Amino acid sequence: MPLNRDVLWYKDAIVYQVHVRTFHDSNGDGIGDFPGLEAKLDYLQELGISAIWLMPFFPSPLRDDGYDIADHSAVHSNYGTLEDFRKFLGSAHDRGIRVIIEMVLNHTSDQHPWFQESRSSQHNPRRDWYVWSDTDTRYKGTRIIFLDTETSNWAWDPISKSYYWHRFFSHQPDLNYDNPAVREQMWNVMKFWLEMGVDGFRLDAVPYLVEREGTNCENLPETHEILKELRRKLDEQFPGRMLLAEANQWPADLRPYFGDGDEFHMAFHFPLMPRMFMGLKLEDRKPITEILQQTPEIPPSCQWCLFLRNHDELTLEMVTGMERDYMYDTYAESKTMRLNLGIRRRLAPLLDNDRRRIELMNGMLMSLPGTPIVYYGDEIGMGDNIYLGDRNGVRTPMQWNGGTNGGFSTAAPERLYSPLIQDPVYGYPAVNVLRQKASEHSLLNWMRSIITVRRSTGVFGRGSIEFLYPANHRILAYVRRLGNEAVLVVNNLSSTAQAVELDLRRYKGNIPIEMSGKNMFPRVGDLPYPLTMGPYQFYWFRLRRI
Amino acid sequence: MAEESFLTDDFLRQLINVGEVDILVGLPTHNNAKTVGSIVHTIQSGILRGFPRERAVIVNADGGSRDGTPELVTGVSIDDLRPASNPYALRTLHSISTKYASNPASGVALRTILAAAELLRAKACVVMSPESANIEPEWLSKLLRPIYDDGFDLVTPTYRRHKFEGLLITNLLYPMTRALYGLRIREPYSPEFGFSGRLGSQFLGQNVWNDGTGGAGVELRFTLAAITGKYRICQSFLGEKDHIERRSADLVPVLRQTVGTLFSALEPDFPVWSAVAGSQPAPTTGADREVLLEPLRVNRKRLREMFSTGVAELESVFQSILSPSTLAELQRIARLGEEEFHYPAELWVRTVYEFAASYRKSVISRDHIVQALAPLFRGRVFTFLMENRNASADDVENNIEGLCLEFERLKPYLLQLWKSRE
Repeated sequence: MPLNRDVLWYKDAIVYQVHVRTFHDSNGDGIGDFPGLEAKLDYLQELGISAIWLMPFFPSPLRDDGYDIADHSAVHSNYGTLEDFRKFLGSAHDRGIRVIIEMVLNHTSDQHPWFQESRSSQHNPRRDWYVWSDTDTRYKGTRIIFLDTETSNWAWDPISKSYYWHRFFSHQPDLNYDNPAVREQMWNVMKFWLEMGVDGFRLDAVPYLVEREGTNCENLPETHEILKELRRKLDEQFPGRMLLAEANQWPADLRPYFGDGDEFHMAFHFPLMPRMFMGLKLEDRKPITEILQQTPEIPPSCQWCLFLRNHDELTLEMVTGMERDYMYDTYAESKTMRLNLGIRRRLAPLLDNDRRRIELMNGMLMSLPGTPIVYYGDEIGMGDNIYLGDRNGVRTPMQWNGGTNGGFSTAAPERLYSPLIQDPVYGYPAVNVLRQKASEHSLLNWMRSIITVRRSTGVFGRGSIEFLYPANHRILAYVRRLGNEAVLVVNNLSSTAQAVELDLRRYKGNIPIEMSGKNMFPRVGDLPYPLTMGPYQFYWFRLRRI
Repeated sequence: MAEESFLTDDFLRQLINVGEVDILVGLPTHNNAKTVGSIVHTIQSGILRGFPRERAVIVNADGGSRDGTPELVTGVSIDDLRPASNPYALRTLHSISTKYASNPASGVALRTILAAAELLRAKACVVMSPESANIEPEWLSKLLRPIYDDGFDLVTPTYRRHKFEGLLITNLLYPMTRALYGLRIREPYSPEFGFSGRLGSQFLGQNVWNDGTGGAGVELRFTLAAITGKYRICQSFLGEKDHIERRSADLVPVLRQTVGTLFSALEPDFPVWSAVAGSQPAPTTGADREVLLEPLRVNRKRLREMFSTGVAELESVFQSILSPSTLAELQRIARLGEEEFHYPAELWVRTVYEFAASYRKSVISRDHIVQALAPLFRGRVFTFLMENRNASADDVENNIEGLCLEFERLKPYLLQLWKSRE
């Protein structure tokens, strides 16, 4: 299957997020690798996804799961070779699957040769590649992101006897983007991978590239200038490739990252995700509709990226204090489940393994405006291990079958990079791909089905949205439109059956056709359109005027 | 056979949209536009502060207002159509309204609120007065928390009142319900009270709505039903209670709603109250009463005159209600001058008990019996005012307690009268 040549391919994409380490181990060393990932591409093609987002796979001391990069132009030996990656990339493209890789622009590992040179002497040519200071009092107005581990954004370097700036862990010094040489070098790094054929970058931690005294050092105009420069080079030299921003910000603060369609192609909609969970628990659409009402229009070529869960904690930075308390109390009663300002759990355990709620949340993910991202393992309802440190509890090996190591690796179990989930409910004997493939009504097959329906129309990826606001606040209803095509989406956020009347007068004369079963419903007339919804049920209706 | 519902289809549709709730606030209204706006905003604040996570609804039962009262109530809804209404509210707060056609005092409002509570499966409910100008957001929590958190079924309020306010309550309703039903509830008939869903449902199913009383004073029946049903009852101190001037001018209708209701309840409740001796305090959060003492101008002279005139003009009525000795004593004090006039507690209690017994079985209509009590009550009020003219808060409380004990002491007299009327 050839790659779709549409330059707006990312608007129709369904992205699968995976770390190569977690997916499949081909050489029996207990760690997933590129040959292993390549071997599972058929599975991903069958699932129906159209792009893979790979988490960092570069050489790294792995003190932050690879986000502490020590060499930007190579593959960590744990995961294979550059040639292995190249081969994987070609195989993915052969299946019509694009590959988006991670690029950490903001910082490097303190083991990176650039930092080693920079700290070696105040006169080293790379001294100015990082942000150094004689005091730890500059940029006082800047918040600390990793509150659980860091007490300052400055760290003392005993070698060069000065402080260096870091927004994340202290072993991740920030690059100095005021230095043109740094900007040039980071573009060269991106070019290296683009020339190899990668289809896009997820640029990590982009709000923090530049520091200025008297500001909070986030979202500064100078940062946007740097990003625009990267985008310009990308469009000139590699048209059709894509930049995805990781910026955990409010929608209004995120909007500038799209520029006039000349900065990022996509950005994560961070505030929506916790509100989807909140709306479900409250059985009230208000949190969801309100945040989407506050979401500004973006340029036509741009797109939001939506997700339910990812490799990080379920971040609660973009909610009010009262909302955060509510989320903690309802989704993370045990403090072990909490990390920084978030909840380190996977989708299925967050939803009490309730199949109806898992389906409803995925239904909303696939039907709200944006490109959906499915986190590896969530398509089979994998669990987590809250007793593993940091965010490792949601980064355990993929569960392929009920055999040794869940089919992930042939290594001795104690050699695996992480223990598998083994509890009776979520453990690999109960939750695995092989078993779910064989069961017609498994979550995996349901996911394949809904992805197929989603991909059957461009309206979800590119259409407008119009909320209907029925008087029953437990019902979230909207119409997605693209040209003459219209899809009515009705979600029951409640655990109980609900009656709802929809004002569909604008669509009078249309016949609603339920998209999964293709069955007709009564024609829309002048009167409010009545529907009865089962607990957590949702419908997608294609509105046809015949 | 199909029976017509007292709930309209439109109201049912609104209830369907609200769905199950944890908290229901009932607001009966009738032409309350002057006060209801600030009251619903206070209610909204009370919900957001006290119950930010709970599913809540404000239900307005309106008796046909023509001043826009229902619109003021529904205007405080918090939803995603009005995102600016309260950006900090965690969830939707519906404020819905329905109109009924009958007399606003008919009890339809409470019946509507109870029906809504049952249909919405509300766990804790509260009825708020549309006239309480000094309502505070905390009142919601004070009336609801004992139900929501502690499993009580009825929470009646206590207030900080002027010593000469609520005289019908202090001189009759409180002491008599206490003596008869055995529980010391300071405000057995209040426009504000909290109740559990289960008590509401139980009362909704009782045959009190079409029993000939027209539903008047049904709030008092509600309190009595909670006592006789052995539901868990407590009191909660709310704070200062404002005057409601217009009520004092219409004593007879008030007596019908309150005393008439109490008297009419005695017959069905006889097995309960006849077995009760003495009284027990109700669990109370905060003060069980606070008394304000600042000077208050009262037309005492007119009270005494109305008493004397009433005793003279209604002699034939009193002859069929009161015992000869009681009537003679009333006629004696009616002739006394202002300085000598004194309507003692014992005589007042005997008077009330004889009225109650007469209400049960008499040749005179029940309505006339209650009306005839009005001049006598005014005479008793005159004495209460005189006795407590210079009294401290403790003195006033002691006098009320003394009256209560008199009601309890003379209860056998009522039982004796009751049996003699069988």
